[in-house]
Amino acid sequence: MKSPASASWKAPLKFRMPAAENLVPIRLDIEVDGQRYKDAFTWNPYDPDSEVVMFAKRTVKDLKLAPGFLPQIVQFIQLATFRSYAGQDMYVGDKIVPIKLDLRVDHTVIRDQFLWDLNNFDSDPEEFARTLCKDVGIEDPEVGPAIALAIREQLYEIAIQNVTSARENRINKKGRRAAEHFPISKPSGAALDLMKLFRSSVVRKRKEWDYYKPVLDLLSNEDVDALEAKEERSG
Amino acid sequence: MPLKPPYPRWYEKNAHCEYHGGVSGHAIENCITFKRIIQRMRNRSWIYFNNSESPNIIQNPLSNHQENEENAITKKMGKKAKTIVSEVNSLLAWSKIRIPKLTKDPGMENKPRHDPNPDSTRPEEPELDLYTIPSYSSWFAWNDIHKTERQALKEFFEGSSISRTPKIYKEYRDFIIKKYREDPSRRLTFTEIRKSLIGDVTLLHKVFRFLETWGLINFVAPLKPHEGSESDDRVRVENGVPKGVRVVATPNSLRPLSAPVVKGKNSGDGVEESEAKLPPLASYSDVFGDLKKLHCGNCGDNCDSEYYEYKKDNFIVCIKCFKSGNYGEGISKDDFDLKDCSEKSATNGAVWTEEETLLLLDSVMKHWDDWDLVAQNVQTKSKLDCITKLIELPFGESLIDSAKGRGYSSSTSTNMIGIKPVCVTSSEHQEKIINEDQGYDYTNENEKNGDPENQEPPSKKKCTASISDADSSLIEQVARISTMVEPQITAAAAEAAVAMLSDEMLCPREIFYGDQIDLTNGPLSPTLRAHDIRESEIQERSSPSESQEIPLKNSDVPLPLRIRAAVATGLGAAAAHAKLLALQEEREIEHLVAIIIEAQLKKLQSKVKHCDDAELLMEKEYAAIEELKEHILGERINILRTTYNTGTSKLLEPSSVQSQTGNMS
Repeated sequence: MKSPASASWKAPLKFRMPAAENLVPIRLDIEVDGQRYKDAFTWNPYDPDSEVVMFAKRTVKDLKLAPGFLPQIVQFIQLATFRSYAGQDMYVGDKIVPIKLDLRVDHTVIRDQFLWDLNNFDSDPEEFARTLCKDVGIEDPEVGPAIALAIREQLYEIAIQNVTSARENRINKKGRRAAEHFPISKPSGAALDLMKLFRSSVVRKRKEWDYYKPVLDLLSNEDVDALEAKEERSG
Repeated sequence: MPLKPPYPRWYEKNAHCEYHGGVSGHAIENCITFKRIIQRMRNRSWIYFNNSESPNIIQNPLSNHQENEENAITKKMGKKAKTIVSEVNSLLAWSKIRIPKLTKDPGMENKPRHDPNPDSTRPEEPELDLYTIPSYSSWFAWNDIHKTERQALKEFFEGSSISRTPKIYKEYRDFIIKKYREDPSRRLTFTEIRKSLIGDVTLLHKVFRFLETWGLINFVAPLKPHEGSESDDRVRVENGVPKGVRVVATPNSLRPLSAPVVKGKNSGDGVEESEAKLPPLASYSDVFGDLKKLHCGNCGDNCDSEYYEYKKDNFIVCIKCFKSGNYGEGISKDDFDLKDCSEKSATNGAVWTEEETLLLLDSVMKHWDDWDLVAQNVQTKSKLDCITKLIELPFGESLIDSAKGRGYSSSTSTNMIGIKPVCVTSSEHQEKIINEDQGYDYTNENEKNGDPENQEPPSKKKCTASISDADSSLIEQVARISTMVEPQITAAAAEAAVAMLSDEMLCPREIFYGDQIDLTNGPLSPTLRAHDIRESEIQERSSPSESQEIPLKNSDVPLPLRIRAAVATGLGAAAAHAKLLALQEEREIEHLVAIIIEAQLKKLQSKVKHCDDAELLMEKEYAAIEELKEHILGERINILRTTYNTGTSKLLEPSSVQSQTGNMS
């Protein structure tokens, strides 16, 4: 029976998204000359700069934005793609994290909760989103990508935390044994205690079933307008 | 050992039997051992012969489909029932006879789900908890994890994490399958089960997809209701409609083209309906423009009978649009030609008269596959027309299928049921007689069941499906078959079956031909026949007593005893047959086990031999090394000796005198 410590210590990997496709989520919210551009999408961090510029130019042209947007968009994308993180090490222990969804896309509001294994590099947020929309019967084609994006954002956050914790380990220069313990004893707070989780049955208690299934809400037009107004005011 | 003279009667010196390793004396064509083996394999449906592809109750009672289905018995059915598939020791064939109709209700009113899905040939029966899984998944067992599972889901078996163990996999799998089987008719979605299971959703999804591909879940359930293409179409429509603009079907009407999506599925149907009226896509009309229905270029309505064709360009307009003038700018009424498309009927413009149809059928019967000759015979129609027409005829498909080099069509095959008596079917027909005597509702019920099957075009596939419905009991099968053929034929079959059985055994002969022996009023068979015809002709419930009076008058043996005897003989024949099969199976199993043991022993032996050889080699090497050791030791001694000798001589030279003197003193 392997001890948890040895099971979870793995050689540090280069930083990357814990998903099958290495795409980073990007959220833009730029205001120039009274025009506001809000958008969210995924981006391949290994695309060269020329791609970034081209994308920005096309966006500005399609949406008829002021030319002042162009450099802003390019900067934002470059910032968001983790050039600063590329090449950094991160520890990936046995990490199963809870992912929560709470988003509104046009008329659809979706709330959901599920577990995601950071160690599973076959995971695909897009496929999960597709399955979810199909099973629940969502017809709005924008919901799927929004869900995938939300998942990616959360994964990204956790991955960054892993990098910082790895960096701290190096700085501390503690012995090897201590480094082993870190992924477990000092998780990013989001990881769950696997031992506790998987020790008894993997079937949840019935009363918990409702917490882990997707909850869908369809809003009327008025609700949508009200919510959007609220967001504008607060944003 | 080769035979020596005097030879037995069958001996042929020059014949050789391949099955018996080329031994001389008989040819393989006459080898009864071989024939018995082939017959056994045929009985167990391990092999089929090509000439029994048509639905033929005698030679091919089983399904002709590519994918066979088997039952997985999962719930308790009685004290002796086993709950785990791997523990079931009885033969599948035996189980099929014994288990299905343990319920007393002979009527089939309790068939709640008549599954029209052609993939599953059996409806589900709630009393029996039979679940259909495909035969390629028969490795599945509740208490074990099979190699297939281990290979497909390696993550659980590598010991890489405490969140991925075989125990956890088994829990996932069992939960998912049980959840599906709570209601097998609905399609289980991944989202439903992932809320109840702890674990990475991606991995859970992998397990779910694995089970689905192997048919352990969602096998009988309907397919996805919304295919990808449909939703794509809907998406296309949505993207084309900006929110502020309403797109209407015709310029001046207010009928909307598509309903908003927010309302959900109902509107989805509406969208589909109105989509059908949209003008077809370019490629569609290019390909099917001539053959299929024509749509008005303006409003998209079907132009069924008459339409107006624009002379200068490829543009048609329905009558309504023509009258209202909706055909675009720069086009005047005169430019349109009235065209009647009634000539373009579904049969590609060909209209078949009765004589032509008759001619066609005759020529197909004669020439089978040779469409050139068929077209020649039916002079007025082309080859393509003939084939299309034949397909459209209700039994046309079966004719075409049987025309592929067979000797008989499906219509004649039904006659063969009446002509050839077979032991297996005889018991079925015995029971059929019982049904007609007592289970009147039952027969009617089965006629009702049989009729829907008959009303659909009895293509070949449907025929085999209904006849070879292996899940239902013999009684049902017989009843179904009897409702499909004419009463005279069933009567003839029954008569023949009775004759065969009577030949074999004394008791039924006494009972059935007792009146013959006593030379009283007439033989049984015309009575039976009258029975059959009357009962199947009269649709309403007549008092059974009326019909029973006649046999009572005619025979000395009372009717209940007759019935009991018939039942007993029938069941006895089936049971004996089954017992034989069981014995054979056991012998086979023993034989195979013996082979396995032999193989294992051989393996062990070769391993031991290998070890022995290795040991020998080792010993030799050891001996060689010992020799070498000794040799080296000897050399060493020599060297030491020589050094010692030279050394002492040196010692002896200068101080040798001293030492000697020293020694001496």
